[in-house]
Amino acid sequence: MLRAYVWLYVAVLFGPLFLIVLFSFHSTPAQYFPMQGLSIIWYEKFFENHVLVESMRRSIIVAVSSTIITTVIGSMAALALARLQGWAKSAFGTITFAPVALPGLFIGISLLTLFSQLGINRSLVTVALAHVLISLPFFIEASRSRLEYFDLSLEEAARDLGASAWDSFRLVTLPIIAPTLIGAAILSFAISFDEVIVTIFASGSETTLPIAVWSMMRQAMTPAINAASVLALSCVMLLIVSFALAGWLHRRRKLDRRKAFNDGAGA
Amino acid sequence: MAQSMTSRERTGLMLAAPAFLYMICFFVAPTILLFVFSFYRSKAFVPIPDFILDNYWRALTSAGFWRVVGLSLEIGLATALLSVLASFPVAWYIVYRTRNNSLLYLIIASWITSYLVRIYAWRMILGSNGFVNSTLEQLGLIAQPLEFILYNPVAVVIALVHIYLPLTLLMLLSALRDVRTDYLEAARDLGASSLATLVKVTIPMIHRGLVSAFMFTLVLASGDYVAPQVLGGTSSMTVGLLISNQFRQTGNWPFGAAMAFICFAVFTLIYLAVVLLLRALGLAPNRRYH
Repeated sequence: MLRAYVWLYVAVLFGPLFLIVLFSFHSTPAQYFPMQGLSIIWYEKFFENHVLVESMRRSIIVAVSSTIITTVIGSMAALALARLQGWAKSAFGTITFAPVALPGLFIGISLLTLFSQLGINRSLVTVALAHVLISLPFFIEASRSRLEYFDLSLEEAARDLGASAWDSFRLVTLPIIAPTLIGAAILSFAISFDEVIVTIFASGSETTLPIAVWSMMRQAMTPAINAASVLALSCVMLLIVSFALAGWLHRRRKLDRRKAFNDGAGA
Repeated sequence: MAQSMTSRERTGLMLAAPAFLYMICFFVAPTILLFVFSFYRSKAFVPIPDFILDNYWRALTSAGFWRVVGLSLEIGLATALLSVLASFPVAWYIVYRTRNNSLLYLIIASWITSYLVRIYAWRMILGSNGFVNSTLEQLGLIAQPLEFILYNPVAVVIALVHIYLPLTLLMLLSALRDVRTDYLEAARDLGASSLATLVKVTIPMIHRGLVSAFMFTLVLASGDYVAPQVLGGTSSMTVGLLISNQFRQTGNWPFGAAMAFICFAVFTLIYLAVVLLLRALGLAPNRRYH
C-alpha cells in the first residue's frame, strides 16, 4: 500500500515534466493527445530565436560566475562552521540560512531598493550577486554536515607531522571534501540557472533564459516554450550525470590501482 | 589543548568572514533599507525620505488589502497542508523502509531545475485546450471546454503543491531521520497501535521539523507571485502580486515595502498560532528529545 503510494507520488511529481518533454517533440502546436507525429521543429525554432539563444548564453555566464563565487565563499563558511563553537556558530549558521526562510519576492524588492539607492545599474552583475545570495544558504547547508563529520584531528595529525596549514588543507582536507563541494556547486549552478522570482527584480534589460521564457509564457502557449524548458532542464541534468559518471570512474580507477598493487605485492 | 581550541576558532572566524560580510551587505542591509523605505513618502512615484506611518495605515485600513491577504493565506495554508500530508508517508517510507537514496536524489534534482516549467505544465494540463479538457471532450463527457478549471485559486494551489512537495519532503526527511527506530519499537512493545505511536511518539518528536516544513511552504506559497499571474486569472490577486506590482508597475515603493512588512508580521503571528495550537493538542511538548 505504502509502496504504491510512493510510486503515485513520484508519478505525480514527474508526470507533468514528462508531458512537457514529450510535447516539445510534437510536430504540431497542439498540446493534447493523440499526438500527430514527432519532429524537432520546436528546437529549430528555439535556435532561430535570437532572444532565446542570447538569454541562454547569459544564463550560463551568470550561473558559472555566481557558482564560482558561491563555491569559494560557501566552502569557507562550511569549514568555519566545523570550527566555530557556541553562540558564534549558531549566529553564523542562522544569518547564512535566513534568506531561505523569506519569499524570493522579499529578497528581490530589498535588493532592488539597495541597488537603486546606491545608484548601481541593474545588469548581469547584479543578477549574479543576487544568485550568490540565494544559493549560498543551500551550498552551506548541503556541505556542512559532511564537513562537520570530517574529523579535524586528521588535519591536526598532518600539522603535527610538520605540514604547513595550507599543505595540510591541500593534501589532506581538500581531497576528502572535494566531492561534497562539487555536489554543492552543482546545486548552486542549478539554482541560479532556474531562478525567476529574484531575477525579475535584479535584472536590467539583459535577461536570463527563465525570464525570457517567462515573458513568452505571458504572451502565448507555444511548444517553443516546451523546447526551451527541456533545453534548460537538460543543461543541468547533463551536469549532474557527468559529475556522477566522473565520480564513478574515479572510484573504479582507484580500486583498480589498489588491486594491481595488491597483486604485485602477492607475486 | 585550550590553546589549540582558540587557534581553531580564530581560523573559523577568518573563514566565516566573507560569507558573513556578504550576508550583511546583500541581505541584512537591504532588509533594513526596505524597512526604512516603508516610512518614506512617495511623490509622483519617487520615494522621498520622511518618517510617516501613512503607508502602513493605508494598507491596514484597506478592506481590499485584507481580502488579498486572506486569499494569499488560504492559498498558502492549503498548499502547506496538502504538501505536508502528501509528503509525510513518502518521507516515512524513505527513512524506515528503504536504504536507497537514488529516489531522493531524483526528487531533489527535479525540484531545483523546474520552477517555471512546473507552472507552465499545469497551464498546459488545465487550459481550455489542455489535457483535461481534450480528454473529457474525446470521451464525450463535455461539449465545450471547461473554462473554470484554469484561472482560479485552485489551479494556483495545484501548481504550488507540485512545486513545494520536494521541499516539504526534504524537511520532513531530516526531521524523521532523528527519530531512531528504537523509540518506535519500544512504543510497539508497550502495546501502542501504529496510530498511537504516530500521535504520541513520532509527531511530538518531530514537531519542530513538522512546523518548519509547514511554515516554509506556507510563507513561500503565500508570497509567490509567478504562479498566480500565469494560473490565477483576475480572481486570484495575491499579496505577492500586489507588492510586486508596486515595485514594477505603479511604482509606489514605500507602500509596497510597508505591505511586505505587514505580511512579515502576519506570518510571524501564524507561526506562533501554529506552535500554540500544536501545544494545545499535546503534539508539541516544549522539550527537546535529541
